[in-house]
Amino acid sequence: MENRIKELRTKLNITQEELANRAGVRRETIVFLEQGKYNPSLKLAHEVALALKTTIDKLFIF
Amino acid sequence: MLINSNYKVMTLKQFRIVKLVFTVFLAMIFGRSIVLNSYLMPIIALVASALILFYLRSRVKEVVADERDYLTGGRAALLAMQIYSWAAVIGMLILYANRALNPAYEPVAMTLAYSTCLLMLLYAVIFRYYNQVKLADKKFFYAAFVLVLFIALAVFSLRFFSGEDNWICQNGRWVKHGQPDFPAPTAECK
Repeated sequence: MENRIKELRTKLNITQEELANRAGVRRETIVFLEQGKYNPSLKLAHEVALALKTTIDKLFIF
Repeated sequence: MLINSNYKVMTLKQFRIVKLVFTVFLAMIFGRSIVLNSYLMPIIALVASALILFYLRSRVKEVVADERDYLTGGRAALLAMQIYSWAAVIGMLILYANRALNPAYEPVAMTLAYSTCLLMLLYAVIFRYYNQVKLADKKFFYAAFVLVLFIALAVFSLRFFSGEDNWICQNGRWVKHGQPDFPAPTAECK
C-alpha cells in the first residue's frame, strides 16, 4: 500500500530508528512500511500516524 | 560486557549473542549425550536454558519482535510443518516398506508417523485455541506450557529411550531385556 511515511518523517526530521521506537516496532518494519512492502495492522497504522502527528487517512493512500 | 551498567537492562544485541552462545552449548551437550547414551543431561540443559533465556528476555527493554515478525513467523512455521510432514510421511513409507531389510527401520518409521500425527494434532489444538481464546501477553501461560512440555518430554525419553525394556538381538535370536510390553520383532535377527 502506498503511503507518505517517508515524506512526513523527513519533514519532521526524525530517523527510522526514532520512528520505530515511537511506534513500538523494529526499524526493519519501518523500512518495509516506507517501501510499501508491508500492510500494517490498524493499531500499527494508528501508532505511526500518531508518531508522525497526522491521521491514518492522510498517511496512507487508499 | 554482556550486561549494561544498569544490570537489570539488556540490549537486544546482547540478548541475541547470549542466545547464540546458549544454542552452541546446547548443541555440544546434545552431541556429547548421544555419544554417551545419556538422555537426562540434554533435557535438563534444555529446560534450564529455556528458563534462563525467558528471564533474560524480560530484561530486554527494546522491541524484540513486532507484528510483522509474528506474521512472518506464523507463515514460516506453517510451511516448515508442511515440509516436515511430507518428508516424514514419505520417509516413513520407504522405511516401513523396507523393514525386512533392517529391523531398525520399523521403529524409525513408526516414530516418524507418530511425530507427524502429534505435530498436526498440536497445530490443530493451538490454532483452535488462538482462534477462540486471546492468548497474547499471557507470559506465565507460555512459561508453564514450556515447563510442562519439557517435563513430559523428559518422562517420555526416560521411559522409551532408556533401552531398559526392549528386545535385543543376541547370537541370532531375540532376547528379552527388562520387561518389554510388546512381542519380539518378527524380523530376522542377524
